[in-house]
Amino acid sequence: MDFSEQLHQAEIRDSLEKILSEHCSQENLKEYDSKFKHDKNLLSLLSRNGYLGLGLNEKYGGSGEDLYDLGILFEQLGYHAAPLSLSGCLVDVAQTMQKFSNERSCKEILSSIIAGEIYTSAILEPSNQDPENPMTTATIKNDQLIISGTKYLSEISSIAKSILISVNSSEGVLLVLVESDKVKLTELTSTANSPLFKVELDSVRISKESIIHEQGRGLEALRYLIQINMVMRSYIALGITEKMTSLVAGYTSEREQFGRVIGTFQAVSHRAADCFIELECLRLVNQQASINLNANLDCENNALVSKIWAGNACHKISYSAQHLHGGMGVDKDYVLWRYCLLAKECELINGSASQNIDRLGVNLTTNQ
Amino acid sequence: MLIQLNQKQIKLQTELQEYFENLITPALKSELNQPEYFEGGGPEFKKAMRTMGSDGWIGLSWKKEFGGKELSSIEQYIFVETVMRTGFPFPFLTTESVGPMIAEHGSEWAKEEIATKILKGELIFGIGYSEPNSGTDLASLQTKAIKQADGYLINGQKMWTSLANFSDYIWLATRTDFEAKNHKGISMFIVPTNDPGFSMSAINTLGDVRTNATFYDNIHVPETHLVGDLNQGWSLITSQLNLERLALVNHGPVEELYKDVLKTAQSTKINNDQCLSDLSWVKHNFAKVHSGIEALKLICWKQTWIMESGQLNMAEASVAKVYGSEFFIEAYRLLMEIMGELSILKNDSDLTILNARLERMYRTASILTFGGGTNEVQRDIIAMAGLLMPRTR
Repeated sequence: MDFSEQLHQAEIRDSLEKILSEHCSQENLKEYDSKFKHDKNLLSLLSRNGYLGLGLNEKYGGSGEDLYDLGILFEQLGYHAAPLSLSGCLVDVAQTMQKFSNERSCKEILSSIIAGEIYTSAILEPSNQDPENPMTTATIKNDQLIISGTKYLSEISSIAKSILISVNSSEGVLLVLVESDKVKLTELTSTANSPLFKVELDSVRISKESIIHEQGRGLEALRYLIQINMVMRSYIALGITEKMTSLVAGYTSEREQFGRVIGTFQAVSHRAADCFIELECLRLVNQQASINLNANLDCENNALVSKIWAGNACHKISYSAQHLHGGMGVDKDYVLWRYCLLAKECELINGSASQNIDRLGVNLTTNQ
Repeated sequence: MLIQLNQKQIKLQTELQEYFENLITPALKSELNQPEYFEGGGPEFKKAMRTMGSDGWIGLSWKKEFGGKELSSIEQYIFVETVMRTGFPFPFLTTESVGPMIAEHGSEWAKEEIATKILKGELIFGIGYSEPNSGTDLASLQTKAIKQADGYLINGQKMWTSLANFSDYIWLATRTDFEAKNHKGISMFIVPTNDPGFSMSAINTLGDVRTNATFYDNIHVPETHLVGDLNQGWSLITSQLNLERLALVNHGPVEELYKDVLKTAQSTKINNDQCLSDLSWVKHNFAKVHSGIEALKLICWKQTWIMESGQLNMAEASVAKVYGSEFFIEAYRLLMEIMGELSILKNDSDLTILNARLERMYRTASILTFGGGTNEVQRDIIAMAGLLMPRTR
């Protein structure tokens, strides 16, 4: 048993903290409130410093396959509300390919991701409750796939070279990389102004070579993608809720009413303490899930537990933080509001807490 | 970072499970089913404690000089977890919180006579902190110990002295300096319950757990019974409480109950084709309890690991206490909902489920949100030590 971070992990955290706090100043973030939320300069800075290779094998130019390292990156991106949406690229594409693609494709694509090239994924479908069973279909004709369907909440798709798409076919579930210019993209406007897209495929023809995994392993690969995405996004949630909690502690330690600092009222400090407890739980379940994923254990339940805690923490801490800040919490000149909106996206993407409680309940009562 | 038990520790778990299967004989079981022995104290209980002691289990992580095996705190946690899963009323406050304090801060006599015997399973302690007018504000306590030529003279009254009815000693907090500020004038003593000046009256609780009011009438103890330095007792109390808080919220019993209710629900037919566990709201309750247990387990493991490095953090001990105690209440409620009306039946009919363990555990859970330091104070500590907020008033 060892809950301590390794030296290199503490270093990753410290230097990311430095880069991001410099780069994600209130002024810089403001600039992205009304435009396409993708900070190219920050991305190339991260790339130059090797942070896009976290969690990837050294042979592709990465810094080693530890998913906890990658978790630190997402936690920090969340903590600083960085204008970068990278889970499609660094998690869905890079991690799934590392596990399921041949070395040649990995060498090509993973090293270009590390160098700052954008890829993304399109997995979720409107009103499909079960992402493991895509409604998007591929018809197999000789060595070609003909794909039709609609995906959404695909990140930064307009600047992605290719999009990893999940489909159902006569050979079962497949994960395929489709060039972005073959699909129809519509930008969606979401609550936190995240760069999300609807992706429509209307009889898109691509080569069978675009399938990223060996024959027969599509479902396994998709399940892995979903699990790891849940866990890494829960690290974003961790960063967001950590920041909100520290804003609460700071604000209520300075704001005075009735001649005293409001943090000295138990009603206030106890609500803050509850945020701290929630946060500690989320941190621990995330750590467990990422470490078990490292060890190749079947982590579906671990991932669901992470997502359930993330969904609840995002909701509870966001509203506690807004409440304890009073009017400041909604004032767009202060920092909190962005985190609250991001928290709502984090809470709902990959399924709400209630939906995942349902999934977990099914697993617990039938798999044993 | 490594968040799982290693092979040796998993083996230890299995070994302990087998060990307890043999240790908990039908005679012991039937003794523990008698209300007067719910918390232990009967002859079979005492026998089992001594067996555990002589087999070397009680002091897994203790130093060899006391008869321990010097394994890590994790092994010690596994031992307590496994024994608590069996339902045996293991006196963990003696072994996990008072014992280590005496081993570290006691006089030579206390180390040799008391600490080693705790390890052998021969001694049980009650904890004498609360008084009729000092509960949450513990530092206002009034029980006196007056210095005399050959020791101290103790007078006062304590409340909620659980296990006093079969304890050998009380771990007693007293006031020794009446001029100093509240928490600066407190000293800790080991007080024998066989002293003629010691008496008690029973307090029966909703959980059918007996506790006691205890009275100390001109009890004389020698100097060797003072633990730690004179007037320095407050830090012993807070250190003891940190250890107590972790022991109180051990994840073993609730996980055991979760597993048993799950098994029961999976085998309870509600019609020709369905079991209780097929209902979606039942699945949801199980999922909520499971995700709560996962967090509790990790909190406890982390605390235990921190203990190993000797820096028990105040905020984290309080997180464990608040989260664990409030989760127990929620978990028992969710599990009782699953079994519905069956879960209110006591242990005397063929309809009773799980030997009425669910019924008893929910009734004993409510004390944990205020016992061991009320959760309001724990939240004050979290805000102060964890979030660096100003002290509440």
